Amino acid sequence: MPLRVRTQRRLINTALLGCVVIGLYAWADWLDASLARDAHATGYLLYGAIGLLAAYNLRKKLTGLPLGSSRFWMQAHAYIGLATAPLFALHLGWRAPDGWLEATLAGCFVATFTSGVIGLYLTRTVPKQLARTGQQYVYERVPSLRSRVAAEAREAVLGGVRATGATTLADLYADRLHGFFNRPRSLAYAIAPSGAARKRLFGELTASRRLLTDAERRAAERLFALIRQKDDLDFHAARQGLLKKWVFVHLALTFALLILGALHGVLALAMQGAAA
Amino acid sequence: MTTQAPPPQRVTGPQRWQEPLDAAMTDELVDRLLGVAPFRQMDPAAFPGSTPLRGLLQNDTRITRRAAGELLVREGEYGDTAFLLLDGRARVALDSLSAEAVGLQEGQARRGWASAIARTLATVLGPERSPETRRKIDARSVPERQSLFVQDVPGVLNEKRTATLSPGEVFGELAVLTRSPRTATVFAETDLVVLEIRWQGLRDLMRYTPAWRAHIDELYRTNSLRVHLRATPVLMRLNDDALERVAAAISMETFGSFDWRDVPPDPDAIDPLDRVKREPLVVEQGDPIDAALLVRSGFARVSLRHGEGRRTVAYHGKGAVLGAEALFAGAGKWETAIHAVGYLDVLRLPADVFRKEVAPTFKQRDRARRAAPETLPAQTLDYLVDRRLMNGAEAMVIDLDRCTRCDDCVRACAATHDGNPRFVRQGPTHNGLQFANACMHCVDPVCMIGCPTGAIHRDPQTGVVRINDSTCIGCSVCATACPYNNIQMVEIRAAGGAIVFDETTGQPLLRAAKCDLCSDQPTGPACQHACPHDALARIDLSEPGSLTALAAR
Repeated sequence: MPLRVRTQRRLINTALLGCVVIGLYAWADWLDASLARDAHATGYLLYGAIGLLAAYNLRKKLTGLPLGSSRFWMQAHAYIGLATAPLFALHLGWRAPDGWLEATLAGCFVATFTSGVIGLYLTRTVPKQLARTGQQYVYERVPSLRSRVAAEAREAVLGGVRATGATTLADLYADRLHGFFNRPRSLAYAIAPSGAARKRLFGELTASRRLLTDAERRAAERLFALIRQKDDLDFHAARQGLLKKWVFVHLALTFALLILGALHGVLALAMQGAAA
Repeated sequence: MTTQAPPPQRVTGPQRWQEPLDAAMTDELVDRLLGVAPFRQMDPAAFPGSTPLRGLLQNDTRITRRAAGELLVREGEYGDTAFLLLDGRARVALDSLSAEAVGLQEGQARRGWASAIARTLATVLGPERSPETRRKIDARSVPERQSLFVQDVPGVLNEKRTATLSPGEVFGELAVLTRSPRTATVFAETDLVVLEIRWQGLRDLMRYTPAWRAHIDELYRTNSLRVHLRATPVLMRLNDDALERVAAAISMETFGSFDWRDVPPDPDAIDPLDRVKREPLVVEQGDPIDAALLVRSGFARVSLRHGEGRRTVAYHGKGAVLGAEALFAGAGKWETAIHAVGYLDVLRLPADVFRKEVAPTFKQRDRARRAAPETLPAQTLDYLVDRRLMNGAEAMVIDLDRCTRCDDCVRACAATHDGNPRFVRQGPTHNGLQFANACMHCVDPVCMIGCPTGAIHRDPQTGVVRINDSTCIGCSVCATACPYNNIQMVEIRAAGGAIVFDETTGQPLLRAAKCDLCSDQPTGPACQHACPHDALARIDLSEPGSLTALAAR
């Protein structure tokens, strides 16, 4: 069975990345053997690579220019980003950083690299999770849709009360559902959303059905759909929000890394002493 | 004893008659028309009470005068009226005329680096541009019909092959009946008078006057049939003699309503099973095969009986030959049913002629290749046809399993369109794919029908459906006609950003806005170019294979 295009591309790119890493090690060995300042050479290369990675953000702003597709840049960003890890190790010379600036810079690099890897994981897994919900939502529209769902839920319950005067469903709504429809979800949910609340509320609503009047049962049916929709909205808000916050963190770390790296480079050049 | 005349029958005319093509069509003019050919030969009694011949002429036609050299029909344009020459002479250009000769600007060229940089700088650095600013606010006053002239009539007559059209001749009917671009340019050789006939009226005249229908069919047979047959892949191997015999054997049939947009494409509005039942049946599964069907225009749904309903197994558009595989295989019956999706114009080629003339030109290997089934799942085919998404030639399809909802596509679209995105990243979803609300540049662009100024048009070079901002009068006809809600009416703003109001009505001036496929951008569609995760693609859904290819990426 022939491989999918993306799988082929991934295999080729991974093989290329392996070749580049081997080449980097061979280059560093050669620099070392020739008694050159290998830390300077790897430093320039590392900073250049980080600059190229950061340039992707600039490319995103210049949508009208034929600078290559964003897809190509993203691929290059991921593989060059992975290649910076062994390059960083070569630059450090496989030792722990010493001094506060070096340690901060190394910590910043590790944080940026880790956030990149996490981002890669998130961008590969979150879309599949989002696609599983019945409807798709635009992040910016979620607050207004939440308000609409909450209003509909309240109206459905009040409709049941108006029809028969029974308040069983209204009591359940006030006690268990009002908070779900009107309050934001917890931080834990934002980090790792689950369907536990939906299941719990479905269970409580199902258990109360035998106590309800016909009008209330019709309202309860509507509530089932609205609970599902509210839960989907919360899920989309949490997962899409996570992706957006991740981009913000990754960008902030990148700029910090660029600034600290430039400072480190200036100091390294200033303190290099006489030529060997 | 006096005989009292029966009271006049009150009937309700078609809805289109609420707005006659030309309010100046008086009874006197209609009487005069009824006295000339071909209307003189038509039998008014053959027309139903709801669409009498007189009513058709009064509401679906208009008489216009054109000066010598004036253009009547431009090659490549879409139109909703056919023409009957009443007086004078016209010329039809058998060779294509240059864009300059027919008063068209050349197709919009893609911008180069310099203008791309300037536009990007303007977007990135500001000052913020007011959105949707129109250069010519006074464009609203464009008259309903602009006079355009062939620039160099003697030169055209000398250098190009032309044919003369005389009084009584009909032209422009093919584009109207098949909703396809005009195939030739026609201009007035002398001052002339023509009768324009709205496509609905033309169809009614053909329906109730067999002789008129035969005449129109004969025109098609004479002028266009061979071109269509030559462009049909199955018939490309025929020699000239065989093609003549095939052409002579062909008859024409139409199924369904040409105005298919009247039936909403949203299947939530109509039960999907009911939808298939409502679609006009062309061929029933199990019927004997007596002909191959060549699709002239429209779409056909091919389905198999499954339980109480039908399962779609394929859909086909213009150029397809239905039944060819079965005839190649020597089958005696249709193995599938065929329905018209909306409407379907077919050319019927008798089975014996097909077997004698066409089948021998195909080797066994080629026949097997043609019979290879599509690999799209049946439910996806159902979905595409039920929502008529197969009409999209450049549909925006988003792979939801890859889309991170970063909205880079929307931002890129906004950045290349003065801050206003031309699509919404929402739309129907199926099987992990979202068919976003972006203009699909349809195979059958119903939005173009009825535009009073021709502002919405298809670029003859690229096939992109575009709106000319300077001639759009904001009438909303296209936005209302688009069955997919992919055209928005937006407010026109002055250079300072203020909304521009109509002096007379006090209402904001509007114009239609839609995806133009970034045809002036050096990058092509900015949305696709900006997608980092390869999730968004512009694909031709009229070819099921394109969706298969997308799924296989």
